[in-house]
Amino acid sequence: MQLKTRKFINKLFSGIGITSVVIMTAFLLILLTPITYKGLGAIFFSGTIEYRMLNYKEFGHGDKENIEKEFAKAKTARAPVYLQFDSFKKEVKKLEPKKRREIKNQLKEIKEALKELLGPFPDTPIPVLLRNQYGQTRWKNAQEKLHHVLYSEEWDYSDPTKPGIQVFVPRKKYFAGTSFESFFPYLEKNIKKMLLPKFTCYWQFLTDKSKDAHFFGGIMPEILGTIYLALGAMIFAVPLGILAAIYLSEYANPGKIISFLRICMGALAGVPSIVFGLFGLAFFINTIHVSNSKSVLAGSMTLALLILPTVIRSAEEAIKAVPNTYREASLGLGAGKWHSVWTIVLPSALPGILTGTIISLGRAAGETAPIIFTAAVSVGLPLKIWETLSQPTPALSWNIYNLCTEHEAVDEIRHVQYGMVFVLIAIVLLFNLTAIIARARIMKKLRG
Amino acid sequence: MNTNKLNVLILSIVFIVISFLCTPCYGEKIVIDGSTTVGPIAKAFAEYYMGKNKGVNVTVSESGSGNGAKSLINGTCQIADMSRFMKEKEFKAAANNGIMPVAHVVALDGLPILVHPSNPIKGLTIEQIRDIYLGKIKNWKDVGGPNLKIVKISRDTNSGTYETFEKLVMNKEKLAKDVEYVGSNGAARQRVQKTKGAISYAGLGFVDKTVKALEINGIYPNQETITSGVYPIARPLFMFTDGYPKLGTELYKFITIYLSEDGQEIVESIGFIPVTSY
Repeated sequence: MQLKTRKFINKLFSGIGITSVVIMTAFLLILLTPITYKGLGAIFFSGTIEYRMLNYKEFGHGDKENIEKEFAKAKTARAPVYLQFDSFKKEVKKLEPKKRREIKNQLKEIKEALKELLGPFPDTPIPVLLRNQYGQTRWKNAQEKLHHVLYSEEWDYSDPTKPGIQVFVPRKKYFAGTSFESFFPYLEKNIKKMLLPKFTCYWQFLTDKSKDAHFFGGIMPEILGTIYLALGAMIFAVPLGILAAIYLSEYANPGKIISFLRICMGALAGVPSIVFGLFGLAFFINTIHVSNSKSVLAGSMTLALLILPTVIRSAEEAIKAVPNTYREASLGLGAGKWHSVWTIVLPSALPGILTGTIISLGRAAGETAPIIFTAAVSVGLPLKIWETLSQPTPALSWNIYNLCTEHEAVDEIRHVQYGMVFVLIAIVLLFNLTAIIARARIMKKLRG
Repeated sequence: MNTNKLNVLILSIVFIVISFLCTPCYGEKIVIDGSTTVGPIAKAFAEYYMGKNKGVNVTVSESGSGNGAKSLINGTCQIADMSRFMKEKEFKAAANNGIMPVAHVVALDGLPILVHPSNPIKGLTIEQIRDIYLGKIKNWKDVGGPNLKIVKISRDTNSGTYETFEKLVMNKEKLAKDVEYVGSNGAARQRVQKTKGAISYAGLGFVDKTVKALEINGIYPNQETITSGVYPIARPLFMFTDGYPKLGTELYKFITIYLSEDGQEIVESIGFIPVTSY
């Protein structure tokens, strides 16, 4: 080969390498930027007086006097709206029947939209469900609901051969010439006074439990559930995995059986996680009854099975990487086999073992399929440590899925979903960061 | 110095564990599993119940009617939400395990047929819907709509909603091969929201402004048409328990919420039809 060609090939190769690194970084940015931006939206947002009232009444956050003062102010701003509503009701009766029917329908829709925007009408009984007791807690959602009050969404089907076109008709049009016409500009102009939006930092999102199926409140039960499940999986998988790794690398005689075992472990690592989930349900819950329902215990055991091959493999590699001279020196000084494994080999292998373990901890925290049937529920309270033995828990990974596919009001609570994604990724990153730091510390210590 | 830092790490871990232990204590639990249609009702009841009885942890999972039945049969849940009645096979399996399923009808539901709101079609007949899902009608223009391919969405076969649809609309005939199956009511609605030519079905509580419910044989699903049985695809929604719960227990109090005035308001405000009328 000519020198020129060789140089060209070299350049080509490094060029491709750099491109792929750039693409990877770009992907990471594309992925992480919206997650961070939208996720932080769950904590930092423009909150209305309804939000502050809810947070005070349900969780006791905030300053009572201040909130009540603000609420009184908002109430004064809202009063004309309701007054106009009431006085117009009398006027409707005088209209001609055809017009009356049309206007009554419109009024009904406006009433519903207004309830969603500002909460229940004054002097009506308090609704049973929490979600109906308050108006919009977030300014961004409030603006959408305001649009619903001001405009009616209609579809223009005039061309039957084509799909209809969405048109927004200002509701004002239906009330032209009546006293209610001024309702709309008043509402639009004074909406800020009625809701008093203010920049809010809801850090308690991380420590509050959810209220009314994630409509309000935080994600404490989910965070706690995720941590319980991941740590529980570690409790089962790590001792078992390390012992197995020691046996495989130090004690076992290499032979057909051992290599067969290794193949089995490799296969186990490749089993789809949903299979582990079904196995966990069939074995831990339905056969040996570790608990009488789904529980964190059953979930952690299932997750432990899932990460066991990774833990064994990483521990084995770490142990193998310990130079043989260490062992020989130890044995030469008269230490027994177990003694030298315990005092020499394991401590030197610790950084490697730790890294593998904590990376699998991150994996256990993020897995969804194994816990669907064994541990996860859509709603539940945060658990105390001993309750994990018998009770199921919500967990971040599962609830993200649940909120985006199964929840009845997906679009209204997107922020909770984004918040969960952000927190889950933060937890996994935190685990990995701990691994890196711990590894560096121990390496430094080992070097003396 | 290094050991010092390690000590700090260990101390902080101990601190975290202790702070977990200090979260308030909860004693009893009610575990609910099953239908994604009944899920919103169960979740709202759970919130209502936990607000009134502080010591009880009510957990709700939404994994489909079939799974709910299985959980009840295996004794791993106390209440199985189901959007269909239990099958003979399931009853037998339950009896073999010493479980006696008792049905509580908590609400009524009409199965609205959903299309994208841009679809000018006002209604269909049962036969037309059947032909669409059998693959005989492939384009909306064949039923008086725009020239648009019909995208057929159905719930998965584990769901009670699917079985109701199969029984009441399809006459147990097999669905066409190109039907797309989704795992929950919410997912079915989302699919229709995003696809102009889509058709699907879901529980009444999942209908909102983003999708359009069709008239079936000229009848629109609402409280009146469903309770009177005029709307052809209607069904009760169940919660099953093992035997009738002992009076006065937490389970008894929970399962009778739907009979109370508050329970009726909850069912109504979620969008389903209560069985009581106060």
